[in-house]
Amino acid sequence: MTFFAKLSTQQRTGAVILGCLALFAVAEMLLFSIDGNQQFLAQAFASPDWQAPLGRDQFGRNMFARLAGGLRISFTLSLICVVTSALLGVLAGVAAAWRGGWFDNLLNFFANTILALPGLVLILVFAAVVPGSFVMIYLAISLVIWVEYFRLVRAIALNQVASPALQSSMLMGFGKFYLFRRHIWPALKADVFSLAAFGAATSVVAMSSVGFVYVGLKPPTPELGLMIVELFPYYHEAPWLLLEPISLLFLIVLGFHLLAGKSR
Amino acid sequence: MKRILLNRLLQAILMMWSVGTLTFILVRLLPGDMAYKIAAGRYGDDAVSTAAANAVSAELGLDKPAFQQYLHWLWDLLSLDLGNSLVSGAPIIVELQNQLSFTLVLAGCAIVVAALIAFPLGMFCGVKADSGWDRASLTMSTFVRSQPVFCLGLLLIFLFAMELKWFPVAGYGGVPYAILPVLTLAISLAAVSSRVVRNSTRTAVKSAWFEFSRIKGLSSRRAFVRHALPNILLPALAFMGIQLIGLIEGVIMIESLFAWPGIGHGLSHAVFARDIPMLQGTALVMGFLFVLINALVDVSYYLLDPRQQEVQS
Amino acid sequence: MKRIEVTNLTIHSSEGVIINNLSLSVSENESLTILGETGSGKSLLALAILGNLPPMLTVSGSVKVDGKEMLEMPASEAASLWGTTLVMLPQEPWRALSPLMKIKHQIAEVFRYVKRATPATASEDTHQLLAKVGLEQHAQKVPAQLSGGMAQRTAIACSAATGADIVLADEPTKGLDTARKDDIIALLKARKTKGCLLTITHDVQVAKALGGKTLVMQRGVVVESGDAEKICSQPDSAYARALINAAPENWPLREKSATTFSPLITVKNLTLTRGNQTLLEQVSLEIGAGEVVGLYGDSGSGKSSLADALLGLLPVSGEILFHQPLARHEKLKLYQDPPSAFCEEATLRTLLHDIIKLHKLSPPPLDKLALELGLSPGLLDRTATEVSGGELQRIALLRAMLLKPKFLVADEPTSRLDPITAEKVTRLLATKARAMNCTLLFISHDIHQLNNICDRVMDITSL
Repeated sequence: MTFFAKLSTQQRTGAVILGCLALFAVAEMLLFSIDGNQQFLAQAFASPDWQAPLGRDQFGRNMFARLAGGLRISFTLSLICVVTSALLGVLAGVAAAWRGGWFDNLLNFFANTILALPGLVLILVFAAVVPGSFVMIYLAISLVIWVEYFRLVRAIALNQVASPALQSSMLMGFGKFYLFRRHIWPALKADVFSLAAFGAATSVVAMSSVGFVYVGLKPPTPELGLMIVELFPYYHEAPWLLLEPISLLFLIVLGFHLLAGKSR
Repeated sequence: MKRILLNRLLQAILMMWSVGTLTFILVRLLPGDMAYKIAAGRYGDDAVSTAAANAVSAELGLDKPAFQQYLHWLWDLLSLDLGNSLVSGAPIIVELQNQLSFTLVLAGCAIVVAALIAFPLGMFCGVKADSGWDRASLTMSTFVRSQPVFCLGLLLIFLFAMELKWFPVAGYGGVPYAILPVLTLAISLAAVSSRVVRNSTRTAVKSAWFEFSRIKGLSSRRAFVRHALPNILLPALAFMGIQLIGLIEGVIMIESLFAWPGIGHGLSHAVFARDIPMLQGTALVMGFLFVLINALVDVSYYLLDPRQQEVQS
Repeated sequence: MKRIEVTNLTIHSSEGVIINNLSLSVSENESLTILGETGSGKSLLALAILGNLPPMLTVSGSVKVDGKEMLEMPASEAASLWGTTLVMLPQEPWRALSPLMKIKHQIAEVFRYVKRATPATASEDTHQLLAKVGLEQHAQKVPAQLSGGMAQRTAIACSAATGADIVLADEPTKGLDTARKDDIIALLKARKTKGCLLTITHDVQVAKALGGKTLVMQRGVVVESGDAEKICSQPDSAYARALINAAPENWPLREKSATTFSPLITVKNLTLTRGNQTLLEQVSLEIGAGEVVGLYGDSGSGKSSLADALLGLLPVSGEILFHQPLARHEKLKLYQDPPSAFCEEATLRTLLHDIIKLHKLSPPPLDKLALELGLSPGLLDRTATEVSGGELQRIALLRAMLLKPKFLVADEPTSRLDPITAEKVTRLLATKARAMNCTLLFISHDIHQLNNICDRVMDITSL
């Protein structure tokens, strides 16, 4: 509760939006668990009714279920990507700043290799290696976010390691763990959180971009980007259908951006 | 300055190596029937045979030991022998040349239009910080940034191509076809850069040195042009390096959405069709463009910022 | 006619009164110095005279420049006086110069655009002006390449170029070394031949050197006024007396003790380089156990680096020998900027307890120790950001004392503090060090401060 209290209004709005979306995604699974892949061709483009509150798509599949499924995919992916990248990124960044020397050079080399290509290009190439694989996309996106973490954490840690406060504590005999806890981590906290929210937004956008060009998760998986590209040809017949995944994608990315706080 | 160029050269080499290695792994993972499918794609379903599939396999060198293949692959890469497309059969280099001009037109126009939007808007909002205009601009910017760029493109297509019917939906063939792609990309870039310009402007106008330039007696317009402007433009230039990522990623998505036949379109289709030589070629071009423009930005920044030259000496 | 006339000026903010019923005047060819510590509202007075007060303040009274009322004047009209009638020297000149423009252009543009000279004349005049302030060799530099003193001289040149004869100088020597201060004061006095000068400062030495009419301000109220000579030698008000006495050159002289000290640290042929620069070459010195040694030198002369080397924080070539083996925590340092030496988040008491736990000390009476240093014990329950600089520096001393150090380096510990607080902290430091029989290395650019409390003073340039 105190965590929520510390957020700014902007951040709270973001948290609320994300909370509602997550609630929708989880509630659908727990309370209804409708199969979003089951086709009812006779009911293609059906208008909303009690069974399918958000209508049915071109194959008569329940949009309510599909959208919830899509959100679950997006949330799961962003969560695991961010947790992986954050943990490894903070570890690597602090270690590189503290140890310096060859260790720092090695990590920097690795980071520069990843940075030599724009993220999406890297992700597309990875996606091509095993098409339709969630694991490959997860790996690629995590790498891209990891680099951001590494660079930011390393810069902040370098600054802190050179600071009088840390030097003073070191002179007084404190060990590395104390120095991290009192001097380095407080300087990192806010940025790690902010980057986590941005990273989550990036993962969702990357996944949907890759889905949009048909090289992400394969149909009939209800991934949001894939849904958009599949529904695009039916714009005239059922415009609301296309707007549904677009709005959800917009809301989830907006939620994460707002949660991240003041722009860097 | 030598150090900057050397760094970027090293980065270009690293990029080539990583793209080359990744596509090599791709080739090794190509399952047998994929070679069959590619052969089918090339010769037609009826004309294909095991021999043809084997020929494709041999073409990609799948029958030799791994490490030897790897070295051979890297050697080809260094000598810029990029092979032929597995889908069309045409030499990659030729295809890339055709695509490159489309991409350069799109990217170039988008950068110019983005600057034409971002600078006046950003400076205006910076000078009138926290006013209604500023807040409106922030809202618009947040709205645009919270969409993947292809969603933005879709919205513009609905509005201008389908409802208002001002422009064609997709494809190429003259200036009207370029308007929506360029506009989409420009808006997505300007959404971020206008805020950066706004922040630099606000910092400049509130700074102690701006105040002193006015106290010395300079009029507000002259103080802005002589003092504030350089301090706004220079950080914007540095920001260009970061925007490049968005530019290249945007190019890929926009070209795919609007069927604009540039390198990005080539890349996504190559991934879809598993046309590995094409994939490698387009990824390489994207990487080169990225490193090259970054190098240009670095060098311009170095030449224009008098503080850098002090540090170097 | 009076050039500047302030009558019953009162300024409130939402937090309270900043200036209280202030009246003063400056006539043609006169110089007025306002002496007072930070928080006395002095800077706002300068802004009021310029007609550039920030909004959100409640202002009453009258401020007239050459007969024109500045308080109600619209911004554009006030701006038209800037550079023609009035000019103000900025408080922090290194921040007040445009970062990307060469200094000669920053001066030349005043000639070109404010005085409407031709480019050729402007260039010629700039060159002459740069020579007058001693900066001809640095004309092509950008502000980042200048020292504090050079930046201030550039600002003075810019304001001289305007030809405006009412000059306001807000803390013109803040942050400068003692030697640089003299240069600036000389330049300010040279301007006095026409127009008038209003100087705001907390430095008694500056007030004395400038001479002329002086007002002493405490918390927005004038407590004393008169001639500079008289105020600085025989002040009437208690506050003025405290201020004068706090200046190190006025401290009572210390009798040099005749004790000889057995050596604690012997340094032989020490050479220290940073990057491409050699800071110290073949330095040899000795520091005695229990001695209070002063280390004097200008900024950038390598004093801090020498101390860091003695503490084992910097790699050097040469020999540093400790005659008694000292544990890591027996060699400590006090920093120039107290807030940067503390973790910002935890309360001070928690940080002190961390030390007690780490070294398994028997819990000392923290509150009693705080009182001994003149601090209220309640301060310990705040975080470092909620405490003033002077108080925080004393808490840093308390923290160091917990570990009973044998060698303590104080690196310009009072440079960022107000004069009265600075005196308190300096004395406390010396007293406590001697009481603990701890060797103290006191680094400062103020020779008077060092001469007063140290057993011996080393000049870095003569090492």
